[in-house]
Formats: sequence, structure tokens, C-alpha cells
Amino acid sequence: MTTSLETFKLLAPEIALVVAALVALLGAAFAGLRSGWLVALIGIAAAMGLAGGLPAAGTSIISGPITIDGFSGYIRWTVLVAGGILALVQGGDLFRSAVVRGSGLSRGGTCEEAGTFLILLAGLSLVGIANDLVLLFIGLELISVPTYILLALKRTDARGQEASLKYFFLSLVASAVFLYAATCFYGLGGSTSLAAIGDALRSSDPRLTGMAVVLLPVAVGMAMAGAAFRMAAVPMHFYAPDVYEGTSPGNAAVLSTLPKVAGIVVLARVLGLAIQPLGIAGEIGPAAQIHLSFLWHLAAILAAITMTVGNVMALVQTNLRRLLACSSIAHAGYLLVGIAVAAAAAATRAERPFDGAAAADTMWTIGLGGMSATLLYIATYVVATAGVFAALAYLGHVWPEWSSGSGPRPPREEITDVDDLNGLSSTNPVAAFSLALFLLSLAGIPPLPGFWGKLTLATAALEVDWTSPVTFGSRRAWFVALAIILVLNAAIAAAYYLRIIAAMYFRSTKKGVQADGGLAAGVGMLVCLVLVLMITVQPKRLFTPAMRAGAAASNVLTAADEPAAADEARLVHSD
Amino acid sequence: MNGLSPANHLLLVILMPLVGAVVAWLMGSRGQQAVRQSAAFTAVATLVAAGWLVIRFLTRPAGLSALEPFAVIEVPWLVEGMFDIRLSLGLDGLSIWLFGLSALLSLTAVLVSWDAIKEKPVGFYGLLLLLEAAMLGVFAARDIILFYVFFEFTLVPLFFLIGIWGHDERRKAAVKFFVYTLAGSVLSFLGLLAIVLWHASQTGTITFDIAGLTAGLQAHPLPMTAAGGWLQWLVFLALFAGFAVKVPIVPFHTWLPLAHVEAPTGGSVDLAGVLLKIGIYGFLRFSLPMLPEASAAAAPWLVGLGVFGILYGALVALVQTDLKRLIAYSSVSHMGYIVLGLFALEPLALEGANLQLINHGLSSAGLFALVGMIYERFHTRSIANLGGIAAKAPWLTVLFMLFTFSSIGLPGLNGFVGEFMILAGSFQRAWAGVAESFFQPYLFMAVSAVVGVVLGAWYMLWAVERVFFGPSREPPRSHSTDGHGSHAHHHGAHDDVDRCDLRWHEAAALLPLAVFVVWIGIMPQAFLSPAAPAIEQSARAAREAFADRMNLPPQDHAAGSSIAATASSLPYSPSSP
Repeated sequence: MTTSLETFKLLAPEIALVVAALVALLGAAFAGLRSGWLVALIGIAAAMGLAGGLPAAGTSIISGPITIDGFSGYIRWTVLVAGGILALVQGGDLFRSAVVRGSGLSRGGTCEEAGTFLILLAGLSLVGIANDLVLLFIGLELISVPTYILLALKRTDARGQEASLKYFFLSLVASAVFLYAATCFYGLGGSTSLAAIGDALRSSDPRLTGMAVVLLPVAVGMAMAGAAFRMAAVPMHFYAPDVYEGTSPGNAAVLSTLPKVAGIVVLARVLGLAIQPLGIAGEIGPAAQIHLSFLWHLAAILAAITMTVGNVMALVQTNLRRLLACSSIAHAGYLLVGIAVAAAAAATRAERPFDGAAAADTMWTIGLGGMSATLLYIATYVVATAGVFAALAYLGHVWPEWSSGSGPRPPREEITDVDDLNGLSSTNPVAAFSLALFLLSLAGIPPLPGFWGKLTLATAALEVDWTSPVTFGSRRAWFVALAIILVLNAAIAAAYYLRIIAAMYFRSTKKGVQADGGLAAGVGMLVCLVLVLMITVQPKRLFTPAMRAGAAASNVLTAADEPAAADEARLVHSD
Repeated sequence: MNGLSPANHLLLVILMPLVGAVVAWLMGSRGQQAVRQSAAFTAVATLVAAGWLVIRFLTRPAGLSALEPFAVIEVPWLVEGMFDIRLSLGLDGLSIWLFGLSALLSLTAVLVSWDAIKEKPVGFYGLLLLLEAAMLGVFAARDIILFYVFFEFTLVPLFFLIGIWGHDERRKAAVKFFVYTLAGSVLSFLGLLAIVLWHASQTGTITFDIAGLTAGLQAHPLPMTAAGGWLQWLVFLALFAGFAVKVPIVPFHTWLPLAHVEAPTGGSVDLAGVLLKIGIYGFLRFSLPMLPEASAAAAPWLVGLGVFGILYGALVALVQTDLKRLIAYSSVSHMGYIVLGLFALEPLALEGANLQLINHGLSSAGLFALVGMIYERFHTRSIANLGGIAAKAPWLTVLFMLFTFSSIGLPGLNGFVGEFMILAGSFQRAWAGVAESFFQPYLFMAVSAVVGVVLGAWYMLWAVERVFFGPSREPPRSHSTDGHGSHAHHHGAHDDVDRCDLRWHEAAALLPLAVFVVWIGIMPQAFLSPAAPAIEQSARAAREAFADRMNLPPQDHAAGSSIAATASSLPYSPSSP
């Protein structure tokens, strides 16, 4: 593992983000810079320019501790696009808690917030490209530490402090737990390089197998716990409602989207340990099989529990941000379905090596789509969720009583409950329409992006081990059951999303929604709206990169990799 | 104008309401009158275009086979990885009448809302037109995912129509309607995906084309054995979950009365007239041809549920005090006949069921529209508070009675043809089994269904008697305490009586329906024969599977059997000794 100038070139987008962060932080301290979020947007735009297009399918550049391939490129672009939207949301998040009343609004978008946010983005992007446990951990901490600062900066009342402390301590625990998993993997592989750990894990060394039986479930379980905290999945989900409630819409937007991406990457890396790299034939050893089996069982069980718990909790919420927190828990469950599918499909593939002879074989290799589905789903989820919070940040506050006349106005209140959105369709039709569209997308109503996400997830779950019959207890039966739980959860979720829509469209109100958030948040909302409509009409624009990235992450042959396999695959495509 | 190819013609029909919705939105600033006129114009234009397309379908060149899809469009939508989803549209015998019915009833829905909708007309008519596009699309879809997209998308406009312009409990009704239907249809979604995957695993080609899947699944049926994991049963149940809620088949009907009672009249017309039919259409399009063995095995149970629905709906309708709720339960009862006809798996009954889809669409839409008109005039739907309307509004009464007679199956009107064919087919099915044992459930079912006909006549005619005849009642007025004394009140009442009868837009809404009620009643063959080959093709596999299952001798029914031919052979069923 050598770090060279090449590595720095490949890291250019992340370096751009960090430089922008330094400009924002130092500029505020020494040069009186005010418009931090402008700096953030410029930095993100520069990073996008440096990132270039996605690498071609099948290519992967390994340089020192980083790997640039379809997967990390997809993660990087997701992070940059989401970062751009969230920078707008944060910039327009003129949140002022109900306790601290006074004249004027809080300053939107201070340079300190913008700088820490940029570092968070850089950390997340590093997580995506890390191929080494140490860099992976550093990336994760680069996400966590700025998050603490963001939480503490935005809201200073008791509730805000409770939220940031709660997040801080739990995050520490999660980091420690993940570190423990990392040491276990190091112990098994004798290296911090993920590739080396994977090679060791897949070998059939009997000594390793003996150790793996004990150590692997611990390592996988701990890694899962660390990822579950970031994704807000059971059993590390319970902080989410309190923290979201106790912070501003802009921060809630960050919390509900970016850490989830990090959790997905961690799980994808853990899964990747047991999958043979491209071009290497041969069976995987017993340790790797234990690894896969444990991973998919765990992910499937947690997915089922997380979806159900999140949705059932959300049904009874009246506070808007708590409700969205529960919904984000539920979506973590959907994402875990994809991880479980990917692991189970890898296990199936390990049992039956691909030879491309039978038609069913070809299909079943193409169909190793759990990871692709997860990556597609996270993109649709991020766009819709960021849109919801952008709209909330843009709407800002409500007056308890609507008064259009002159005279002293009653003090503003923050938008807390679903009821505060009553009658939004008449007071602010554009925001109401956008919110309704985002919520319907989250509910998975066709043909909105959320539907395409659920379509891929359900298809991926149904095609696990699909050449064998559905007998009780078989792997296939597990995933058929998981698919059923998934779609029923989607129906439960519709009930509370519709409750918000019903408040906006079916009720009238005396309260006046003020729309006193910054214009930037409104722009962020419109950007999300455009993205949602674009994916609705042309889902292929998202499907192509997601499929490629998923294939790269799970080392599946894709059309471009091997001519023989490509012919088979094209046969399937064209009919 | 034959330069317009059928495919473009179909696309035009589906896009017209969408364009109309945008136009209605642009008219928003010019007030209610402009909006509703533009909506009515769009609905008329769409109806004319759709009607013309139906005529082109009926008069297509003789060279085309009766089963060939008409006006096929295919544009790739999402071709990536294992997905091959196409914007694929076309019409065939199964869908042609429902397609036309959607266009017809959408015009009715616009016209009956003429005076009733005063608030936010832009949103209302826009959503109504959006709903029309979705309904037209669901019947024209030839791609399984596209079908599902339209199938689900019909929920969204209706959710808003009920929730914004509905009555007192509209919010609860809207959410219940949406969530209940969604819960069923997401399971159907899994079933549809499983069909695609099974087809791919057996043939090695991925297709989402409904016709291709049907052919593939008939060649490689899903396993019905324990070794195959009862896969066909699982898929059948998954599809059943969505379609049964949509129909609704009785234990799954609880959303329907609430949604109907709370919906605005225009929404009720579309809901009863078209949306309920999508469930039956789904059975005909997917369950019967793709899962014949499971359909055949489930048929006796579904016949039982259908007959239970007939009797249950009728008995509950009998005790209703709210006229709209009564019509809603009569819908439940009538959909029971259609389920019975479908799963009797006799050609005669199947054709009757398909015709009855249209009949029920016409009569229930007409009845809901008329109940809405009564509500507009008297501000009540309570049967006890209504009376003697015949004297005040003779034309309204005449039309109500026409649709009532259609609904209860008076000979000469359309309802009679459909019900008679369903019952005759059920008795054929019953007689086919008599040879084996004297008492057999089908006979019991068929006789019970006939009892349902009697009950249907009872509750409908009784309601007509109470509402339209008898002493004239002044319903309690919603604005009687206006403080202007009894004279003003009296004067107001007179006003109401003076303009009590049908207005032009109400007549225009109902007359086309009335024309078809009579037309189908007199010339049913014209409506039966275009659909017959498609129905026969769709149900043949299930019927043969059923015959295998019951060890019945093979029956050889000619496709497109005429009523006269089959009905004359009724007492001597081909298989009776």
C-alpha cells in the first residue's frame, strides 16, 4: 500500500471540499466572511467539476488506501448532489426555537456551520472510496464530529442541548462498537486492507475457520450495530425521534440522509469481504460462507423489525419531525432488505458458481441486484427526504393566529405538529404540492421515484435463490416473506404520509404559515422537485448508474466485463 | 381522417384529459364557469375520440384476427438490468367496452358536478380529468408494470376528490379508501413481479408484456404442488388480495360504503362506474389466463363469496336509511353477481359477467348521479325525510326508475341480459355436476343468487316507493333559520319546487347512459360478440383446469355463443345424461 501523488489526484474532489471548508472557517474568523453557504456551494460545485463522470463499468483504480470504481463513484456523486441540496436547505434554515423569542431571525448559514458541513461531506465521500479499515474509520469520524458541532450550533435551548448530547453519546458508543468490529476483522485478516482481509476470509485455512466461527459473528454483529446507528435502524434507532425533534429542520435533513449513506457503505464493504473479486474463479472458504450466512440472516431480521417498528411508531406521532424520524427508521429497514438480499444472493452464488451455461444461470447472475436496489433506493429516499425538510425549512414558522391586518403580530412559533400545516394548500400551494409529491414518493406511489426504489427492492428480494421452490424455512421463503413484509409496510406508511397530505389539503386553519425561511431552502425544495419529476419520467437515468455501482460493489460480472458473459447478458436485455 | 393511425388515435384519447386538466388550470383565473366549460369540452372531446376509436375497433379490417390487439403502441420506458418496462398500450375485446365506459362516465362525472362544486373548481375538474386519463390507461396498458402504475395512480386523484370535496367524514373516508386499497394492491404487485420472474426463469427471456407472459405461463404453468412450493396458489392469493379489495368481494368491502357516501357525486360516479370494474378486469386479464389451475381450484370458494356478497349486500341495503348508502350496498350485491358469473367458469356466465360490468357501470353511475341531484335539491339523503318527489320532478323520477329497473334486471333493459346470462350459466354449471350427486353446492349457490334477485327488486323498489311516491315531504332545510319569517321560507321552498326537475346539464349527463341502458337491453348481441372471443381465450385454460379437477367430461362450447343458442339448450346441459 503506497500513497503517491496519484492518490492525491484521485482525492481532488474531497480536497476541494476541505479547502472550501477551511476558507469558510478561517474567512469567518479573520476576514469577516459572512456568506458561508455560498462558499459551501462553490466548494461543492468545484468538487463536482473535479469528480468528473462515473468510471466505466468494471474499471477500478486502486491507489493506496482508496479505490475509485463504479460504487465509490456513485456514492461520491450521491454525496455531492445531496450535499448541494442540503447546503441550500441549511442556508435557508432560519430556524428559531420557540423558547428564544425576540426580534429578527437567527442568522442563516453561518460560516462555522458551512465549514463543518463541508468537512462532513468530505468524510462521507472518503468513506465511499476507502478500501482500508483505518481510512474507513477516519471517514466515519469525519462524519460524526461535524454532526455534533452542527447540532450544537443550531439550537441552544434545553431541547437542543438534549438532542446534541444524546446524539453525541450514542454516536461515541456506535463508533467504539464499530472500532471493535474493525479490530476483529484485523485479527482475522492480519491487515487493515479490506482486500487482504477478504483474501484471508475467503481462503480455506482450517485455523482461520476455527477462529472465524467464534469471531466472525461478533465482528459482523458489531459492524452491523455501528452501521445501524448511522442508518437509524433497530436496535440503534431510538435516538432519532428525540434528536430530530430537538433540532432544526436543516439539521434533521442532514441527519436523516447522509449518515444513512455511510451506513450503507459500511455494510457493503463488510459484505464485499466474502465475495470473490472480479476475474477470480473458485469457491469461497467456509469462513466466508459463515460470514455471508450470518450477515444475511441478521440483516433480514433487522430489516423486518426496523420497517415495522418505524412505521408503527410513526402512525401515532403528531409531531412532524418525530414522525419523519420514525419514517426515516422505516426507510432504514427497506435499505437493509437490499443488503440482506445482496448477502443472500452472494451466498447462493458461492454455492453455485456461475458458468453461464443455462439460461437460468445467466438471469440469476444478472439478478444479483440487492446492492443495486439499495443504492437506487437511497438516492430516491435522499431526494424526497431532503425535499420534505427543505420545504419545512422554507416554511419556517407559523403564527398561532392568522392576522393579515396591521398592528402587533403575535409571536411566531416553530412548525412542530402535523396540524401546523393545516390548510397549506391555500396559503402556500407550491410548497404544499411539493411536499405532497415528496411524501407520495416516500410512500412508494407509482410512478414516483420511491416506487422505482421499492420495485427494485421487491424484485431483488423475490429473485433470491429463485430456481428453488418456496419451501418453509428455505432461503427463498425468507425473502418472499421479507418482500411481503416490505410491501405491507409500504401500505402502513401510506397512512401517516397521507395524514400530512390530508392536513395540507383537507383542513382549513386560522394559523398562518409564514414562509419566513430563507429563499435558499425554497430553491432547494424546487431542485428536489425537479429531480423527483426527472426520475419519475426517466427512471433509467438513475437505474443505469445504480445498477453499475451495485455490480461493482458485489463484484458481479456486468455486460462490459467479459465478452462471453456480455453476450448472454445482452440476450436477456434485448428480449 | 383515416390518416390517424389507430395507435396514435389511442394515444390521443389518453393524452386529451391530461391536456384538458392543464387547460382547466389555465382557465382558473376566469372563474368557475370557464373552468367547468373547459372541463366539459375536454370530456366531450375525449368521449367523441374514444367512441370513434371503439367504432374503429369494431369495424377493423376483417383480416385481423378477433384476438389481435388493436392500436398497439410500444415505447421503451425503463430497459435496464433485468427490467424491460415499456409504455405499451393497446385495446382488445376484454378492454374495449370498459375503455369506452371510462370515457362516457367521465363526461357524466363532469356534468353532475356542474352546480355542486363551487369551491376550488380548478382542482376538482383537474383531478377528475387526471382520473379519467388513469382509468383509460389502466384498460389500455399492455405492460404489467404500466398496468400497475395506472392501477395505483387511480387512487391519487380520487383520494383528493373525496378528501377535499366530500361530505362530513371525508378525511377518514379518503384515507381509509386509499390505505385499504393500497394494502391489497401492493400484494398484487408482488404477485405480478413473481409472474415475471417465473416466466423469466422458465423461458430465459425477461418480458413484462402481458400477452407474452400469458402465453409463457400457459406453456410453463406455475407449480401447484407441495414440491413446487404451491407457487401458483401464492401468486393467486397475492393477486386476489388487490383485486378482491378493488371489486370489492364481500369480506373486503368495508371501505366502499364509507367512500361512496362521503365522496362528491362526480367521484362516486367514477368509483362505482369504473374503478370497481378494474378488480374484475384484473381477474380476467391476469388470474384466469395466467393462473388457471389455482383459479379453478379457488373457483368454488369465490362463487361462494360472490353469492354471499349478493345476499349480504342486498340484506344490508334493505335496512339502510340513507339513499346513497343503499345504492352503495346494492353495488356490493351486484358485484357479487359478477364474481359469481366470472368463477362459474361457464362461457355464458363469463360473457354475462363481462356485459354486467358495463351494465352495472351504467346503472350505478346513473343512480349515484341521481342521488347527488336529489341531495342538491333537498339537502338530505335520508329516505325518511324524502317523499313525493315524483310530483315535483317527474323527469328525474322517470330516469331514476329506468336505472332502478336496469339495476334489478327488468326484461328489456340491459341488467336483465347480464343477470340472466350469469344465472343461466351458473345453472349450467350446477347441472353439469348433478349427475354425480343430487345435492351439490353449485345448485345451492345458483338458487341463492336467484333469491338475491328478488331481494334486489325488493330493496330498490321499496326505496323508490318511499322516496318518489307517497306524501310529499318537506325535508328539514339546512338554511331554514335565516330569520326572514315563514313567508320567505315558503317562497324559497317554492323556488326549489319550480326548478326541481332536471336541468340541461343533468339531462345531458344522464341521457347517454339511459340510451345505452335501453340499447344494450334490446340489442345485447352487438355488445356481446366483440368481447366474446377475448373472454373465451382468457378463460379457456381455467375452464379446462376446472373440468379436469371435477372430472367433468370436456365441454365444447363454440366461442361467442349467442344467448338464444345456449339458453335454448339450458335445461338439457350437454353433460347431463
